[in-house]
Amino acid sequence: MTDTSTSLALLQFGDSFFPSGATSFSWGLETLRADGHVTGAAEVETLIAGQLRQRWASFDRPALLAAFRAGADLDRVAEIDRELDAATLAREAREGGRRIGGALLKVHAGIGTPGAADYRDRVLRGDASGQMAAVQGFLGAATGLDETTLCALSAYGLAVSAVSAALRVGLLGHVDSQAILVRLRAVVDEAVASPLPAVTGVHAYTPMAEIAMMRHETGSGRMFAN
Amino acid sequence: MNDISSNAIPAQPRERPSTAARVGIGGPVGSGKTALLEQLIPRFLARGTDLAVITNDIATKEDAERVRRSGLIAPERVLAVETGACPHSAIREDPTLNMQSADDLDRRFPGLELILIESGGDNLASSFSLDLVDYWLFVIDVAGGDDIPRKRGLGVLSCDLLVINKTDLAPYVRVDLPRMVREANEVRKGKPVLLTNCAIGDGVDAVVEQIAREVLFDR
Ligand SMILES: Nc1nc2c(ncn2[C@@H]2O[C@H](COP(=O)(O)OP(=O)(O)OP(=O)(O)O)[C@@H](O)[C@H]2O)c(=O)[nH]1
Ligand SMILES: [Mg+2]
Repeated sequence: MTDTSTSLALLQFGDSFFPSGATSFSWGLETLRADGHVTGAAEVETLIAGQLRQRWASFDRPALLAAFRAGADLDRVAEIDRELDAATLAREAREGGRRIGGALLKVHAGIGTPGAADYRDRVLRGDASGQMAAVQGFLGAATGLDETTLCALSAYGLAVSAVSAALRVGLLGHVDSQAILVRLRAVVDEAVASPLPAVTGVHAYTPMAEIAMMRHETGSGRMFAN
Repeated sequence: MNDISSNAIPAQPRERPSTAARVGIGGPVGSGKTALLEQLIPRFLARGTDLAVITNDIATKEDAERVRRSGLIAPERVLAVETGACPHSAIREDPTLNMQSADDLDRRFPGLELILIESGGDNLASSFSLDLVDYWLFVIDVAGGDDIPRKRGLGVLSCDLLVINKTDLAPYVRVDLPRMVREANEVRKGKPVLLTNCAIGDGVDAVVEQIAREVLFDR
């Protein structure tokens, strides 16, 4: 792949215009805000930095990279996918990961990304979960991204969907959200450089967000799916 | 080389599509989308149409619960999709979750013929992705003002069927209904416009007929 076409792929798949259903998920933010735990821009930034350091680096990233390295070996991707699904505690987090993974598979199947339709069939048959990080990893390989670019895409996706959810619920403004994304680059750099656990050893520690997602199941606020 | 024409596949009798027809119901907040759904459901069921419903509530599961509790349709045939405060995006730019829910209904209910998808209440510029629906209605109401059609909102102009609801309220909100209908027909250049009173069901039969003709074909 030429540099320009890698850049274009990154722009396309990293753009919030790329349909993945991500706008429907707040990953606990809706409840944290309703409960008064997150009240403004500074707390949003702390929350996302925590997600990147304590979850993305040691939980999503190992699965993402393992699935990338598995590439066209969809049996291996399915194994990684299963680990990820089993290790995701909160129901709405698990379902959110599956729904975004499923949405990505459907769109990529539609645009002809190799392996997407096959893997989607496995998910529909119930032979794979279709968790977002596993799906993103093998699709990253299929679309010609490299590991660094893929990590950037995944971490940025997490950060941008969180700030945009925060913006939509009125926690910050449009300039604040961009300033936060600039500052979070350093956090992502650090996360990318951190030790990479094996897929069987993924771990995360973001209790506030996990509890918020559990509370969300029965909460009255329902703008978001988690 | 094969002579393609001699191997031509004979015309097949039309088969029922393997998936249900998907019909969107959009329109501004409170125009009567759920009320229309509640009037459509018993009519389609009476017609023998195998039916399911998806709602896109803005902040709660209120509309889905309302339809489930209505007793009109089995509760498991009603799904709610959260839109993250972006109702327009969920039916147009990123309809993936609505499509997922519709695919889900198709799988769970073999033989399903029609899925009605109510959008979250939005503004006059909302419209449905043609990847999501086969046909879509836009519901406005007389109480929103008789100038609505004149404003040429995207929804009013581009929907397959414009429904002007709450005709019973015209006298109370000083709306010139004939003029509203005339202007709606003008801006829609002949595409269909139907009038309803969903409080009691007036005009809804015509909506059912129109949908049946356009997307249920010979069913
Ligand atoms: N008088 C009268 N009232 C109606 C009619 N249709 C709906 N209503 C009332 O209008 C109000 C809004 O109706 P809904 O069906 O909830 O409207 P909606 O478009 O689904 O609203 P959102 O989903 O919140 O955007 C309710 O109080 C209905 O009872 C009608 O034809 N006539
Ligand atoms: Mg409604």
